[in-house]
Amino acid sequence: MNKGPVQIILQFFVLLVLQLLLFNNIEFSGYINPYVYVLFFLLLPFTFSKALMLILGLVMGLVVDLFMGTPGVHTTATVFIAFIRPGVLKFIAPHDGYDPNTLPRISYMGLEWFIKYTFIIVIIHHVVLFYVEVFSFAHFFHTLLKVILSSVFSCTFIILSQFFVFRK
Amino acid sequence: MRNLFRFILQYHVLILFILFEIFSITLVVTTGSYQEARFYQAGQRLSHTLSYKIENIRDYLSLYKENKRLATENNRLYNLLKSSYKISYIDSSFRGDTVSPRYYRYINAKVINNSVNKKYNYITLDKGRNHGIEPEMAVICNDGIVGMVQSVSDNFCVVLSLLNPRFGVSAKIKSSGFYGPLSWKETSRDKAVLEDIPHHATIVKGDTILTSGYGSTFPENCLIGVIANFKLKGGNYYEITVQLSPDFQRLDQVQVIRNEFRNEIKTLEQTAINE
Repeated sequence: MNKGPVQIILQFFVLLVLQLLLFNNIEFSGYINPYVYVLFFLLLPFTFSKALMLILGLVMGLVVDLFMGTPGVHTTATVFIAFIRPGVLKFIAPHDGYDPNTLPRISYMGLEWFIKYTFIIVIIHHVVLFYVEVFSFAHFFHTLLKVILSSVFSCTFIILSQFFVFRK
Repeated sequence: MRNLFRFILQYHVLILFILFEIFSITLVVTTGSYQEARFYQAGQRLSHTLSYKIENIRDYLSLYKENKRLATENNRLYNLLKSSYKISYIDSSFRGDTVSPRYYRYINAKVINNSVNKKYNYITLDKGRNHGIEPEMAVICNDGIVGMVQSVSDNFCVVLSLLNPRFGVSAKIKSSGFYGPLSWKETSRDKAVLEDIPHHATIVKGDTILTSGYGSTFPENCLIGVIANFKLKGGNYYEITVQLSPDFQRLDQVQVIRNEFRNEIKTLEQTAINE
């Protein structure tokens, strides 16, 4: 359990670097921009401090914003999912609740649960992100299409990555 | 006051959330194009070193593709050279155009095997008979002449490297036009020797050595190297050491030159000898 903080810090930087150097360069036809750094918030332990998570959300968002030149846009979205994650976890909790010794991984919670979890969080993140980015509902459906396509890609990358990184 | 603290403690997550969101939304709303530009600049400065390194890696990874692209482009330009066409001087005002029959055709090839440290050095290229390559065709790279095709299979050919004592080419000094045979003397991998330059020629270190165009292999005025040293041999002839321009250790893309009139010239010369 002692390696917890180190692992979280490592995940923070790895995902940040992957996002900035790899996934930011992926852009198909202007509709699909996968934002895989959301995975960082997905992987935090079930009992992680809510206040600390908000602060991490702020930091992560600001760094991504700084590198992408979009002041505030990512920050709004990351702070929002950091805030909403405990609620989402409660919403999709299994009947007997979460075992505090486990982590939100496919190996503990099963693939079905993980897909549901990923999709809810990622879609919320992308909705906030893309609508804050355009900051209007003027091109509502255009933005919605972006949200849906990018979400599908982000989720696919995130779920696939689980099979590569956390193999049992 | 105690109640206020208790309230803050109880709802600290919500309060943090609202504060952070107000902060970030403020960032989004208040940043006009000027602030955005400043913000972007700050980020750019921060990431500049990083992106520069990444760009270097990316450049490096795409080198192969880029080399291929440049080689193709070079090949295309070589084939457009005026000297690649046979220009008839019957009418001296005629300067030649692409309708003139082609004299030299350049075929782009990649070095797949190469040696520089043996006594007899050979280079293998990835083009062969199927690509129009025949023995005794000239091989050059962008820096100068490389050698001459010796044997050909369907898809590959072996080139007699300039760094091979069996290779010889007729070379001339660019400034004065004196010419003589040039060959490699096994001394150094970047030097060759030009002989038979008469003693009354003026020779300056650093002068350019080009092919003379005699013999039907090399076109005229292909770069060979520059004069590194010279001495009189036997009082009558200069022996000139030439610093070769191509780096034979790093050969990659080369051009094989096909003389379209070679057969005609050879047959004519043969008949002349036999008569």
